[in-house]
Amino acid sequence: MNSFAPLVSVVQYVLMFIVLGAAIVTVSIGNLFRAAIFLAFTLLGVAGLYFFLHADFIAAMQILIYVGAIMTLVIFAVMLTGKMQDPLVAQSNRQKIPAFIILCGVSAFLIPTILKAPWRTLATPHATTAANLGRALMGEFVFPFEIVSLVLLVALIGAIATARSDE
Amino acid sequence: MDQLFVNLKHSILIFAGNFLPEWAVILISILISVTAIAVFGPVTMMYLTLLERKFVGRIQNRFGPNRVGKWGLLQPLADGVKMLTKEDIVPKGADHFAHFLAPVAIVIPALLVFAVVPFGRNMVAVDLSIGILFFLALSSTTTIWIFVAAWASRNKFSLLGGLRSVAQMVSYEIPMVLSVVPVLMVVGSFSTVAIVEAQSGWNWFVLTPWGLIGFVLFFLTGVAEVNRTPFDLPEGESEIVAGFHTEYSGMKFALFYMAEFMNSFTISAIVSTVYLGGWQGPWLPGWLWLLIKSYALILVMMWFRGTLPRFRVDQLMGFAWKFLLPLALLNIFAAGVWLAFARPVNYLLSAIIVALALFILYFANRPDMPKKRVYRYAVE
Amino acid sequence: MFGFGVLKGMLVTIQNFFASYFSKDHLTTVQYPEERLSAKERYRNFPFLVYDQAPEDPRCVACDICAKECPPKCITIVRDSDAEGKPLKRPKSFDIDYSICMNCGICEEVCPFDAIFMDHEFELAEYGRFEDLMYHKDRLLKPNDHFKKIRPTDATRIDAKLAAKTQKPAPPVGN
Repeated sequence: MNSFAPLVSVVQYVLMFIVLGAAIVTVSIGNLFRAAIFLAFTLLGVAGLYFFLHADFIAAMQILIYVGAIMTLVIFAVMLTGKMQDPLVAQSNRQKIPAFIILCGVSAFLIPTILKAPWRTLATPHATTAANLGRALMGEFVFPFEIVSLVLLVALIGAIATARSDE
Repeated sequence: MDQLFVNLKHSILIFAGNFLPEWAVILISILISVTAIAVFGPVTMMYLTLLERKFVGRIQNRFGPNRVGKWGLLQPLADGVKMLTKEDIVPKGADHFAHFLAPVAIVIPALLVFAVVPFGRNMVAVDLSIGILFFLALSSTTTIWIFVAAWASRNKFSLLGGLRSVAQMVSYEIPMVLSVVPVLMVVGSFSTVAIVEAQSGWNWFVLTPWGLIGFVLFFLTGVAEVNRTPFDLPEGESEIVAGFHTEYSGMKFALFYMAEFMNSFTISAIVSTVYLGGWQGPWLPGWLWLLIKSYALILVMMWFRGTLPRFRVDQLMGFAWKFLLPLALLNIFAAGVWLAFARPVNYLLSAIIVALALFILYFANRPDMPKKRVYRYAVE
Repeated sequence: MFGFGVLKGMLVTIQNFFASYFSKDHLTTVQYPEERLSAKERYRNFPFLVYDQAPEDPRCVACDICAKECPPKCITIVRDSDAEGKPLKRPKSFDIDYSICMNCGICEEVCPFDAIFMDHEFELAEYGRFEDLMYHKDRLLKPNDHFKKIRPTDATRIDAKLAAKTQKPAPPVGN
């Protein structure tokens, strides 16, 4: 397996490159619809990274929820945007410079933190199986899990109440 | 016989191992699996088109294609040549990048899901611990590319098709996932290999009360997921020309077709894996059993296509949300009861629950037909 | 019982599927170039001209009635004349544009000399769009035997009529 490791890391680097590249294109491209497509690629790449980090379940969930459901919603929302009639219209981006300044500030704070943080690594990666995850959710973290489900339920009821037409 | 392909691959690897380093052998192993899938998928698709045309033709008392080669066996090749030589038309107002990307990207998940289909004993490309989830996740991404294709075409019919596609996929995804849950509960694993192994010795899940319902649910939602008749609203040709692939011609159109047919093959293979015992079966080799089962299911899909007219949009949504979804939820309960009790009682109890659920849903979903009109002054 | 109509429909289609392998009634397709249905006698397609003995002596007398009656005006007739310029009772050229003809059969009905009839020929594909579908006299003229073969009932009737006419003394001309 050791002789196989360089191959895996090559694939991982390619994936990271794809994720970063797609993310940069997402924020810099002029067309909102294409930005959404590249966002999908970014999320798919992240899912691929999860696979290589032995988090199969999370990878599948990433695809199922983010790519399958949320991206569909995003594209739906983009399509319903009025200005999207013409695919060639540049999406206005008047706040480029302030956004860039804020980004610089945040990264100046974040990057040193990431570099300095003492990351704990395991000698042998052990897989996060669905069974482990289920036990954790139903045992140790049952209270937050139930709270989240309650929040979702409230959101669901709220959505129905909002969408319901007045008689 | 059973291990024919496995042994073939194994001997190639041993032969390569004589003079190649270990990592190269692993690479070759991966390449063999990938090549097998990349060849098997499109070839299956090509001959499925022929099978469908023959089968539907016979249903309509026609011969179907029988000119190119014996029994039309070379027809798919002729179609392929035709598709490749056709002019590739891109509408002037289309988003060229997205218009190109969608058909290319839609094939990728269709090919990737072949990786978790266990074609026989030890014949699975990757035994992922999340096999079924992998399949569900990837088949849900197809929606995006259909949607991108619809939007990029800049055609109102395409857009309508795309919108219908999204509504349909989102609705049918839920009963689809829920219809697999009973099996996951019983097996305790997402792995497709483990699911097949749990059904050894005629313990096919379809032979249990909840399994029968689950099988029907999974199969019907699967048919809806791959947009086949009677769920082909996204491409309903009589209403919206060809839906999301109205503006596609030549090879791009062929790619959409390819994705659809490969998806219908994988959905049949996965349904037979999950509920019909996969490659388990007497006498014949395992891979043949899986092919027999999945082709039988595909023939049922084609039978649907030869019989049923398209759903109306409200019927489609009502069927998913008012019938399939509650039935799937009640089916999970039935499977739970089946697990909780001992052998003879559990069959009875879950059968009662399933029958009750069907009964209630049947009556709750009865269409309120208007009363027969009586014309007081009209003469019969 | 709602929902059971689906099963009933499925039963019908699968019956048709299996029946198509066993019953001839269920597979009515004719494999065209190899198998052919014999054309019905009253089938009509494009017109042709009839001659009795030799193609140089057709029944047509170039009276131009068919050309005048033809709704899409696809018939063009030029009357032949002898060396002195006196018109003769035979066409010099007789052209029918098959690409314009609409198979109505009016020419056959109006012809007083029973010279033009509707043919059964339908494999008329050509490479040229204009010249090749313009049928001249040489392609239009067919012997009476051909007409007898394709439409025996009409042929015997018309032959009997013509025979009766020739037996009678010719009516005085020009009164």
